Amino acid sequence: MNYKLNKPYEENYGFIFFSKLSKLNFLIIVCIILLGCVGVVSLYSAAGGYWDPWAKTHLIRLIFGISLMLILAFIPHDVFVRLSVISFIIGIISLILIKFVGTGNVQRWITLGGINFQPSEAMKLALILILARYFDHISRIELDKLKTYVIPLFLIFLPGFLVISQPDLGTGLTIILLGLAILFFVGISIKFVVFCFILLSSSIPFIWNQLYDYQKERILVFLNPEIDSLGSGYQIIQSKIAIGSGGFFGKGYLLGSQSRLNYLPEKHTDFIFTLISEELGFIGSISIISIFCILIISVMKISFKVQSLFSKIVTFGIGFLLFLYLSLNIGMVCGLLPVVGAPLPLISYGGTSLLTVLIGLGIVLSINIHDKEVL
Amino acid sequence: MKNKSQKNLENKISKRFFLLSLLKGTVVGAIGWRFFDLQMIENRKYEKLSDNNQFNFHMISPERGRILDRKMRLLAGNMDGFSLVLKWNKNINVDDIIKKILKIVNISQKDLNKFYEEIKSNKKEFSKEILITKKLSQKDVSKLAVRRIEFPEVSFSMTKKRVYPQGIIAGHITGYIGPYSKKDSKIKIKPNVSWLEVGKAGLEQFFDNELRGKYGRKRNEVTSKGHIIASQIYENTIPGSDIKTSLDMGLQAFAIERFERGNNTLVSIKNKNFKKQIKKTKDINNINKDYVYKDKKNRIVDAQSGSVIVMDIENGEILCSVSSPGYDPNIFSNELETNVWNSLKNNSRSPFLNRSMSGVYPPGSTIKMAVALAALENGIIDYNTKFYCNGFKELGSSTFHCWAKDGHGKLNLMEAIEQSCDVFFYELGLKVGIDKIALMMKKLGLGQFYDVEINDKSKGVVPNIEWKLKRDGLQWSMGETLNVSIGQGYLLTTPLQLTTMVSRIANGKFSITPTLMMNKNQNRFEPLNINPQHLEFIKKSMERVVKGINGTARNYRIGSNKIEMAGKTGTVQVVRISEVEREKGLIKNEDRPWKKRDHALFVGYAPTSKPKYSISVVVEHGGSGSSVAAPIARDIFKYIFKV
Repeated sequence: MNYKLNKPYEENYGFIFFSKLSKLNFLIIVCIILLGCVGVVSLYSAAGGYWDPWAKTHLIRLIFGISLMLILAFIPHDVFVRLSVISFIIGIISLILIKFVGTGNVQRWITLGGINFQPSEAMKLALILILARYFDHISRIELDKLKTYVIPLFLIFLPGFLVISQPDLGTGLTIILLGLAILFFVGISIKFVVFCFILLSSSIPFIWNQLYDYQKERILVFLNPEIDSLGSGYQIIQSKIAIGSGGFFGKGYLLGSQSRLNYLPEKHTDFIFTLISEELGFIGSISIISIFCILIISVMKISFKVQSLFSKIVTFGIGFLLFLYLSLNIGMVCGLLPVVGAPLPLISYGGTSLLTVLIGLGIVLSINIHDKEVL
Repeated sequence: MKNKSQKNLENKISKRFFLLSLLKGTVVGAIGWRFFDLQMIENRKYEKLSDNNQFNFHMISPERGRILDRKMRLLAGNMDGFSLVLKWNKNINVDDIIKKILKIVNISQKDLNKFYEEIKSNKKEFSKEILITKKLSQKDVSKLAVRRIEFPEVSFSMTKKRVYPQGIIAGHITGYIGPYSKKDSKIKIKPNVSWLEVGKAGLEQFFDNELRGKYGRKRNEVTSKGHIIASQIYENTIPGSDIKTSLDMGLQAFAIERFERGNNTLVSIKNKNFKKQIKKTKDINNINKDYVYKDKKNRIVDAQSGSVIVMDIENGEILCSVSSPGYDPNIFSNELETNVWNSLKNNSRSPFLNRSMSGVYPPGSTIKMAVALAALENGIIDYNTKFYCNGFKELGSSTFHCWAKDGHGKLNLMEAIEQSCDVFFYELGLKVGIDKIALMMKKLGLGQFYDVEINDKSKGVVPNIEWKLKRDGLQWSMGETLNVSIGQGYLLTTPLQLTTMVSRIANGKFSITPTLMMNKNQNRFEPLNINPQHLEFIKKSMERVVKGINGTARNYRIGSNKIEMAGKTGTVQVVRISEVEREKGLIKNEDRPWKKRDHALFVGYAPTSKPKYSISVVVEHGGSGSSVAAPIARDIFKYIFKV
């Protein structure tokens, strides 16, 4: 598509602003604010009824992130097209760099000017952008030919394996799954899907060797939690107890005994949803999942509506990213998936995932405003 | 072309879009179902698991009820004790703290060993309260409290210690308590409470439920690291109820003192003449006391063993129940020392046996009233029927002797009882037959349990033809009837049964049953169904045992105008005397080894005019009933009636 045609045709900037504002998808914003508030409220509970150390920081990050998102929403989306290649290259470089200068006991973090930054999270967005750019570019040539997919596969598996070797299995697999979903989305042939499946399953021994002992243990414990009910299995057992004991209405806000008495591990990060389920019950958890679903559906709706392939792929990618976050995290806390370490965006404590999701949604909002709709 | 391929692509994307949406929907649906399953279907199970995490329960013991005598004197009560507890966790230096404490108070090595063992076995837990010692005096507590800041991990707690102020005097009746063990599984308590104490003997055991009260529960809220963050009483304790017994501790104390002395005299161990002798006789049990007994031949002897029971003949209340030798239940409240336990356990006179309730003895001549009543009730003799006693009775090839070598001559029933003529009762026994005698004995309360409030009691033996056939498969022989007629042979009774028998005779109207409780029976007894005239006659005979010129207990009259006792003596031969020995002349009791001496018995009641109390005295290997047992009974009645 010719995205350069999308230039504003009115001179009056005020008018432009209001016309953009009117196109803003408020449903998405409401969902984000709601989920952010849920995050603040549950972090307040996780700290035992204190603003420190998590709730306050989360609120500040949230305000900052939402502002950033709104700013992005008003930036014409062709900027992102231009940024896609450079952001991907920066991402790859920082992933390599992290091997040498990374901080933390596992090398995930990079410290820039006192701010801890996790390049693997940003990589997800960069991957979406570069894949979208690639397919948008290629669409006019031959999409049916198999060799068209060699470059995207490289683009997917390079960062994927870099992240897995950090080692961060959860994020690495998310990146790979996200990339493959986009490939599937743009119409890859079923033959190729089978090929990919074979490739992936044959790479399992390689991935297995790359894994650290604790990760191997986690997967083994997932397959049979009874192996180690006091060690790695402990987290998932306690998490299930907390969720199950919540019942229909929950134990009440600030009254979750499992979290208050420290039976829940990582209750402010990966297991925040367990705390919510325990305190607010089935009603609470289903409501939050529903808000997430509304958010994802709204994003998907935009993806369905927009005209340019780039916009379609980017919005789909971000929507799918949200879905991956949601299902990996919640699947993990309720014992459907192994404990791989996946945050719940907007709710769990942690700046990078929050920022990633908000930037992504900022791009979605921008596309919604600037791209032409399919009639 | 371009348009077409683009259309194709868009179609494809739309298709894929819906396929992926379907996938997402499935995943979200699966998650939703999982939450529904966990939170709605299996909620109960996880709630329970969560509670197990959150809370742990501790039992709190209620205060044990007291045991009192009829005048509200304390038999068993509770004393405040203090225990020292360490709030242990991995980070504290135990040795350092113990060193500091040992500088201030003494803690026994035994307690310390136990304490260290507990710590060693406690590696898994993060923190726990561990008992250092239970035996802390008020003084120790104040000493430690002053310097509390030096060891903040240590705290005091109040405990209750069981005390028995009467000590050895009522040891058999009160019994004692001890740690709960699987053996006590009749008592329905959750196991795995090691500190739990339950009654092990006597009233403590019988009334364990009543005395124990109801346990309360403390609910602690614990973090995953084991720290207790809140603690509340979840269920209140209900203190145990008091038990009021019918015992009179004054009488009991007098009786035990009088009984142990017997016919011997007290000597202080400081007495120079006896010092050497005391040193030599190491097997005397009372060597630890500050006095010993000496007999008429100036030998050092043990306290008498046996039993005394005094019972109210109107309501069956037991006022005094002595069993000697006894034990002091207080030794079980403190840490039981091995040497004390061993010396008690290995004592040849078995101090743990409650002779009053579970010791069995042949009743000897004290049974003669029952034989006489059987004869009278069955109309076999009347009051004037006479038999001739020439000193022995021949039956088949065996000879049955009377205690009087030369015989009593011709005498009637009353005279036979007065002089305790054996030949008269041989004749009587033969005429009545064992089955009828056994029936009368059972009517008078022998050969049966009563619901007296002690678990350990014996049934005794009242033999009859069927009994022997069942036990040995043998026919009953006439000779055995002769033996039973004078209270020997198979016949075995407990002192409690003998007392009950006398009570029924003295009461005359009701089948009195014994009890250790106050106001329990309220005169609700079954009628005795024995001709009162016959009973009156037997009572008259018993009076003559004391009052008569030839009475076997004539030397031990109370001698008061108003109050006199009636009774019957009994001397039980323990070893068979062969004809050869008899020819040589019997060796006197005092000259035989203790184990071979006769048992001395006396049963009776007082006052004769209007019977009120019955008594039984059994002195194991004491000699003759008339010279050893009767004076004890007399002195006890004198004490009761203050004459």
